[in-house]
Amino acid sequence: MLSRRQFLTRSLKGASLLTLSSVVPQFIAKTALAAEPGKDSILVVVELNGGNDGLNTVIPYADDLYPKFRDTLRQTKDQIVKVDDHIGLNSGMRSFDRLLQRGELAVVQGVGYPNPERSHFESMDTWQSADPTRKINTGWLGRSVNELHSTTGGIPIMHVGPNRLPLALTGGAGGAISINNQVPYRLEMGGGAPDRQKARRKLLEDLAQPGDDTASLADFVYRREVQTLTTLDRLQEVLKGTNTGQFPGFGPDGRPYGANALPQKLQLIAQLIQKGFGTRIFYVMRDGFDTHSDQVQQHKNLLAEVADGVTTFFETLRQSGHDKQVRLMTFSEFGRRVQENASKGTDHGAASCLFVAGPGVKGGAVGAHPRLDDLDAGDLKFHTDFRRVYATLLDHWLGCDSQSVLSGKFEPIDAIKG
Amino acid sequence: MAPTTLPPLDQVDPVEAWQPWEPSAKDPWNLQWAGHLYRRAAFGASPAEMNEAAARGLPATLDQLIKGTPDADNIDQMLVTVGAQAADRSNPFELRAWWLYAMLNSGRPVQEKMVLFWHNHFATSINKVQRTTWMFNQNRLLRKYALGKFGPFLHDMSRDVAMIVWLDNNSNLKAHPNENYAREVMELFSLGVGHYTEKDIREAARAFTGWHTNGGEYDFNARFHDDGEKTVLGQTGAWNGDEVLDILLKRSDCAEFLTRKLYRYFVSEQHDPPAKLIAPLAEAFRKTDYDIADLVRRILSSKHFFSAYAYRQKIKCPVEYVLGAVKTIYDQKSAPEGKPPPTLPLVSRLEVMGQQLFAPPNVKGWPGGQSWLNTSTVLARVNFAQALVMGTLWSDTSRGETPNDVSFQPPGIPGQPDVKTPEEPPPEEYEDTARLIRQAKATKADEVVRVLIDALLPGGVSDSARTKLTTFVADGKPTGDKLDRRTREAAHAILSMPEYQLA
Repeated sequence: MLSRRQFLTRSLKGASLLTLSSVVPQFIAKTALAAEPGKDSILVVVELNGGNDGLNTVIPYADDLYPKFRDTLRQTKDQIVKVDDHIGLNSGMRSFDRLLQRGELAVVQGVGYPNPERSHFESMDTWQSADPTRKINTGWLGRSVNELHSTTGGIPIMHVGPNRLPLALTGGAGGAISINNQVPYRLEMGGGAPDRQKARRKLLEDLAQPGDDTASLADFVYRREVQTLTTLDRLQEVLKGTNTGQFPGFGPDGRPYGANALPQKLQLIAQLIQKGFGTRIFYVMRDGFDTHSDQVQQHKNLLAEVADGVTTFFETLRQSGHDKQVRLMTFSEFGRRVQENASKGTDHGAASCLFVAGPGVKGGAVGAHPRLDDLDAGDLKFHTDFRRVYATLLDHWLGCDSQSVLSGKFEPIDAIKG
Repeated sequence: MAPTTLPPLDQVDPVEAWQPWEPSAKDPWNLQWAGHLYRRAAFGASPAEMNEAAARGLPATLDQLIKGTPDADNIDQMLVTVGAQAADRSNPFELRAWWLYAMLNSGRPVQEKMVLFWHNHFATSINKVQRTTWMFNQNRLLRKYALGKFGPFLHDMSRDVAMIVWLDNNSNLKAHPNENYAREVMELFSLGVGHYTEKDIREAARAFTGWHTNGGEYDFNARFHDDGEKTVLGQTGAWNGDEVLDILLKRSDCAEFLTRKLYRYFVSEQHDPPAKLIAPLAEAFRKTDYDIADLVRRILSSKHFFSAYAYRQKIKCPVEYVLGAVKTIYDQKSAPEGKPPPTLPLVSRLEVMGQQLFAPPNVKGWPGGQSWLNTSTVLARVNFAQALVMGTLWSDTSRGETPNDVSFQPPGIPGQPDVKTPEEPPPEEYEDTARLIRQAKATKADEVVRVLIDALLPGGVSDSARTKLTTFVADGKPTGDKLDRRTREAAHAILSMPEYQLA
């Protein structure tokens, strides 16, 4: 039997965690459920925070009612990125044309849930917990970690960004890790001789020792600290020699994408995937979609960032042959009202669209665009419960039981099953 | 005081628990309890303050923490003047730095601690409000009532400009009521979820119609006010907003809700206290007409507060973590012209740890507790500790700028020591942790560790942790400058320890 100290030393050096399962603290044993590099499927979830205007994202350009509702915001047939004879994407999403051409972008329309909440928090929590009754206070992705099958050690679920851990990622054994891509994920030890640095690092690990009381608060902190140090080591291992240069792209305003932009975060995720980091679920967020006024340019820039980020992400992965392993979905807490408001913007609405991308999806429009002549108090009507999207990705992509994650059975969507 | 040996909270005698604590020979007032009090009732203490408190005894210490120092009025006046100037410059980072300055320098530590509590209670974000002056004015309101009466506090807060903008009450019109404020005032500000119905919210929203702002001032807009009859929590009348607030304040749920929240803030976030433990406090709170100072004093002087049920049963929020460490290590008295620590470099550090003042994540405030610590924020704490003990925190002038300007730095090779970098030069005396061991004339490894633990973790650490630290300091028998450097390295490790993350 290993002593705790020996265990820590070994596990921190990245020894196989499963072989130590009899002495490994439960959280590490449970987190040893992750992707076998190059084999297991990976899901990337992109949150568009603030309520994305679905009607100006996926535009029913052939519908005569559309320009009537959107007097100043409308885009014409010549501006949009054509999907089919009825709908096109906002002109900001020009780069999505490359994924559409390859049939790797599914445009899922009319997604929502009954009795929609128009509060950002309530509706975002609904999407993240996957529970419109708001009784469950954990996240659908966090819960799915408990169902993911295990092949090798690693960190199953990761949030990339400076914000606090999203609700969607909570509730899994061991918790999710967060990497803030705006600050280097690096232990700063300053200067000094290498042996002193090593001694200091060792002291940090030695002092993060478990107590006798596994339910105590100190024990929770201890576990977090070990998790942090373990992650540092794995990142160090994985990113060794990686060219982690700045994302080269420029936004539609001609300026390079900033640190908090999606392309930067997705590029980091692509590198982690290429290096076989083993994480199966990644989560990133972009805010700014709450466009109550002067929407046209803001919204176009945001959508360009999404399309550029996602398209380049898959192109990067394709070069190394990792693209087939990866599926990505976007979502937002709600769409916006059909009628634009008096401030050249839009107010909180209900049903909206989302994207599912990756090789294997059936590209193009999925489901009909919600009718503009049949509204629910000024909002689009949903025809596809968002939990059907989740269930399809859980059962058919991640290979875990959606019923136990979602506490219910939801019909899969064929176009995103493959 | 191993927590495992404690009976569960529902076996605690509620009357006994809130009796004033009397130190005894067996459980004396000492550095450990002084440290506990200063972590909870204030933002930590300097070593000198700690020794003073230990010598002065609990009653006098608590009295000063609550009532303030003799010069507290002057300091308050100065803080308001400086804060107004910071707000006028419309830079939220400066406003945050101002508040941190107030936390470090206030003459009324408990009041200052309560300002942060109320910010998280009436959680309002500049990200929507936009104006620093409105956020500053709200902060002044928090100061005014931090230890005052909750009734008038709630009434004034309902007229606060930042609050009205934050919860959309300007669009609350007779023809189109907006329920946002009515919902939050019941759910988050007074009663708690489950103590009202959706219909109560709809009716109450009508009472707040026309409570608008105009040019940065509260403005009652009679044209948009609905003066019809409403039924709120079973009471029917042509209520206006003030009358609805009075209906809420008359509910016993209100005192219980607020008392619970204060229990979590001051005593423990580990276990939800049973209703009977909260009851004596909530009853006293009602009887004193919601006298916040009275309630806070009852809690902070009680047997329960000075017990294992409270000791190290909270995770420090980032502000507590950062300011506590700064207070121990930065010696203002020996700084040139008594210069207080600059607070702008702390602002972006706090943001990476997850606490951007004036910008709580939403109207529920920071969830607190275990959510403060994830891999990213733990790393941010450890890296802050490094910058603080080596003195690079204060020389790093790039910090405190808007984070959007920070260019993307990929993880690179994390944790890899850069062999070419020489050791940092020693910090100035007043910024230097090694000052503590020089003052104590500690030269042996075990003495060095004792001095550091007494200053940073009064109450101590496990024997095994102490041994590891001592071995680390003793390694190679450093003396002089080398011992000073080793002392800083050991301080970094202590600031990174799990125990140090606990309040």
